[in-house]
Amino acid sequence: MQSTRNKLIKLLAASKDDYISGQLLSEKLNISRSAIWKHMEKLKKDGYEIEGKSNQGYRMIRLPDKLSENTVQWGLNTQWIGKSIIHKTSTPSTQIIAHQAAQNDALHGTVVIADEQTSGRGRMSRQWHSTKQKGIWLSLILRPNISPYLAPQLTLLTATVLADVIYSVTKIRPQIKWPNDILMHSKKTAGILTEMQAEQDQIQYVVIGMGINVNQAKNDFPDIIQKKATSLKIETNQTWDIVKLIQEILVTFEQSYDTYIKNGFPHIKNKWESYGFKIGKTIWVKTLQEEFKAIFSGIAEDGALLIKTIQGETKQLYSGEINWFQKEE
Amino acid sequence: MLNMDEIREIIKLIDQSSIDEFTYETSGATISMKKNENTVSQTPEKEVHKKVQSADTPSLVDIKPEIQEEPKEEQTEIKIDYDYEIVSPMVGTLYSAPSPEREAYVTVGSKVEKDSIVCIVEAMKLFNEIEAEVKGEIVEILVEDGELVEYGQPLFRVKTK
Repeated sequence: MQSTRNKLIKLLAASKDDYISGQLLSEKLNISRSAIWKHMEKLKKDGYEIEGKSNQGYRMIRLPDKLSENTVQWGLNTQWIGKSIIHKTSTPSTQIIAHQAAQNDALHGTVVIADEQTSGRGRMSRQWHSTKQKGIWLSLILRPNISPYLAPQLTLLTATVLADVIYSVTKIRPQIKWPNDILMHSKKTAGILTEMQAEQDQIQYVVIGMGINVNQAKNDFPDIIQKKATSLKIETNQTWDIVKLIQEILVTFEQSYDTYIKNGFPHIKNKWESYGFKIGKTIWVKTLQEEFKAIFSGIAEDGALLIKTIQGETKQLYSGEINWFQKEE
Repeated sequence: MLNMDEIREIIKLIDQSSIDEFTYETSGATISMKKNENTVSQTPEKEVHKKVQSADTPSLVDIKPEIQEEPKEEQTEIKIDYDYEIVSPMVGTLYSAPSPEREAYVTVGSKVEKDSIVCIVEAMKLFNEIEAEVKGEIVEILVEDGELVEYGQPLFRVKTK
């Protein structure tokens, strides 16, 4: 069903401005002309503009910029990511949908996308502003065959994927604030939230949630976060095609993930450090017991934050509040 | 997992044997027993053992005095108010509630099902919801909110039902 529709879209796209007859389409796809007509109606609902003329046939006028299972899947050049896509026009959070799907045996590589999240969340249920059709709100279900204690590396991997995509499309080099916030000119452009269900020695599933600010204007953000948040549009003065960006992210993620499973973390570590925010600079680390300043020296072989204290001691941090923006005294 | 009667049975058997230490491990739970006796008491036990071997028919009278003494000590040594420990599958920070304003997932006395979430362990912004994996009651909480936990560190003690 899905593939027939994709073939149909390809045929229409290939013939560009010329009409292609219903007869020819029905022969090529090996379905009846009334089935073709039904497919056309579905495509129109997804936002494709298709012109039908009697005696001439069909012609596609415009591809939709609208999100849907079809628009994301069409032209998506991946082996396993996005073979199954769940699209919601509005949802409280793509993470919630992804968890439900994963518990109902959703496939490795299933993608959940939404035009809008009404209560998108970040760390510790902090709110994430997910304005309608202005950004990418996406959750990815993975079932990696790795030990649960290695899974945090996937969040660093995801950060390098987003940084690569943003860099390749905008030509502006973003930075990654440990472990996985994407910054452009020191302002947050994208965030990642990963959640896992695992037993002691086996992962059931991981849901990687990504929120990317794409086409927001400055006043789309609430006042309090205007100073901290930015979007691709604010940084580039350009509106970006959300569907194309999603496809780019999925393709890049698949390549990077496959390499990680095959070769481990080293290449991710190098890439991460090439984007690393404040490497070699002073940061303030806050733990339950104390607050101290230290030099951020890079990340460890397992992705942990490496710091060097004033006493010259090297420490690894897996978690904790870090003040990245405090001015040097 | 072992029930109380089975644990009692093991204590009895160990009492009667020459074994000084015994560890039983199963999915995440460990029972350790150690005879709290020094060399002085080990000698008579070996004698008992020898007697048994030489006499062919073990005499209950011979070993009874030891049984009467020991169970009391061992009951206090193994804490038998729990029989399962939930351990951390990774290094990270423990969060006892879904967000700072919300109530903790569990407190002492909470009844849990296998899929009940008991806490979150976070490392590098990966949030791992830890499930109880057994049905029972939380009898002891070994960690605090915000604490850094190690791989394999016991977090909660559960009395299974």
